[in-house]
Amino acid sequence: MKLHMRNLTKSYHSHPVLNVGEATLGEHGLEGLIGPNGAGKSTLMGLLTRRIAPTTGTVVLEDGEMNHALNPIRSHQVAQLGLVKTNQRIQGFPSLTIRDNLRFAATSHAQETYRGVMDDAQIDEEIEAEIDSYLETFTFAEPDGFANSGGEKKLLDILRCFIMKPRMLLMDEPTAGLPDDVTKKVMDLVKSKVKSGDMTVIIVEHDLELIWKYCSYVHFLSEGEMLFHGTPKDVKKNRVVAEKYMGV
Amino acid sequence: MAYLIFSLSLLLIYIGLAQMLHVQFGLLGIPNFGVVGFWGLGMYAVGIMQVQLDMSFVDAMVLNALLLAAVSYGLGHLILRLERQAILCATIAFSAIVALLAVTEKWMTMGVVGLGTIRQPFRIFGIEEILFFIFLLILIIGIQFYILKLHKSRLGRLMIATRDNEELAASLGKDTFRVKLIAFTLTSAIMGILGGLSAPLNQFLTPNMIVPSITFAVWISLVLGGKEHALGSMLGVFVTFGLFDILIETYAPVSPEFAVLVPNVKLFLYGALLVGVLVFRPSGLLDQRTPSDAVVGTLGRGVLKGAVAIHQGVTKGVATVQGKIEHRKKGGGT
Repeated sequence: MKLHMRNLTKSYHSHPVLNVGEATLGEHGLEGLIGPNGAGKSTLMGLLTRRIAPTTGTVVLEDGEMNHALNPIRSHQVAQLGLVKTNQRIQGFPSLTIRDNLRFAATSHAQETYRGVMDDAQIDEEIEAEIDSYLETFTFAEPDGFANSGGEKKLLDILRCFIMKPRMLLMDEPTAGLPDDVTKKVMDLVKSKVKSGDMTVIIVEHDLELIWKYCSYVHFLSEGEMLFHGTPKDVKKNRVVAEKYMGV
Repeated sequence: MAYLIFSLSLLLIYIGLAQMLHVQFGLLGIPNFGVVGFWGLGMYAVGIMQVQLDMSFVDAMVLNALLLAAVSYGLGHLILRLERQAILCATIAFSAIVALLAVTEKWMTMGVVGLGTIRQPFRIFGIEEILFFIFLLILIIGIQFYILKLHKSRLGRLMIATRDNEELAASLGKDTFRVKLIAFTLTSAIMGILGGLSAPLNQFLTPNMIVPSITFAVWISLVLGGKEHALGSMLGVFVTFGLFDILIETYAPVSPEFAVLVPNVKLFLYGALLVGVLVFRPSGLLDQRTPSDAVVGTLGRGVLKGAVAIHQGVTKGVATVQGKIEHRKKGGGT
């Protein structure tokens, strides 16, 4: 899956925060999006998943032969097309257990009907097996209870997206709040899913070591504009990136 | 006896309203403060169709359900995208409009003169009220059964997730607005159906029946019983309306000179209970962690034990009376 942006801008009260002329995300499997604070990275993520409406411009999701214009549709329809985002700030459903969180994300909306309430089988064996395998890989203090710490909630946020089997995943600062060993497990899993062609991934991150290590292509956003694209090697050498971001 | 049947029928109507509010507010987080509006609209609609248009009760109920669904769908479209405070205000306004229309639209509602008489749906002389009560009882038990199932279902999980974090649920591919709109339409329409069923119960309708205190009574019951628990609405109505309005106000053994005090004492105890529950059990008598099966089990055992106790008591009493009779017979013999 690829995302094409054209003349995409976002302004709040005539104050422009984002102005991306023309760009494509998702051509290289695992890509990074970096930039200083306030560059508009999270706004861009919100625009791409239709949580935020753009001021001008278009976003098109290319899925093989099909092109879906994202402008006219709502955020849940974007997710149903296979484009999903993990959250920067901790988000969750406090009334649902860890397992119910994952069941909820994995369940198709076609099964959540009024007639379905009377069915005795509310458990899907396939989904349960998948949940079990995730809970074996990632340890929670109470796997049958609720996510308690901030780290667990953040991890659950990422697992909720994994279990939906998205075709394209946007990760907004996935490592913030996660312990190092969990981050490594998450990133290794992402890498293997990308390698097997299950999904393309865009990572927004301040941890540059992680970007250099995992990403095959990097986009640089500063003051609302896409200033540079290239391989990690090119980006590291680039003078604009060095000046604007790395404080050299 | 007729009075008790009337009170118990009203109790069932209140349970039904609280059950619907449980789905709206407890599961979905929609603060509907216009319960009396939907109930009153349904009641007047059935009254008008029967008295002014001379329709049969069944026809009137079906038409009423369709009318209420259409009104709720339209209202839901207007308000369910708004914030919770706005929904609260809008639903209060809706119920105020319904109450006002009942006064002003005299050509339909007869205004403050009142609209009547509404016939009983089951016309079997002598037991029509009891039949209607049994009908209501089956309806409420059916709804309760569905709500217990709903709590364990995928749809129930979707509702709870929508209440907890609507934006997150949408980002996971769930059409949260549609979930809220359909649930609001269905539950508000059922509130209207319960209103329609209240019409033959009250027989004669006046605008002063559509008062906010009904909304508040339903809300207090739900909050007391436990707004997020499948059985909270039922328990809440039992301990408010059932305990205070039926048991204490009507059947408490009070000597005549203190009888005037009963309504005031009732209000005092009512308030004390509410404050006590809110202080010690903020999420209601039943909170989310209380398993429904345990509550049903306890209630079932309670009813069973009660039945056994009554049976034993009756047998014992009969035995005693028989013993006395025999004793007398023997005494008479000597």
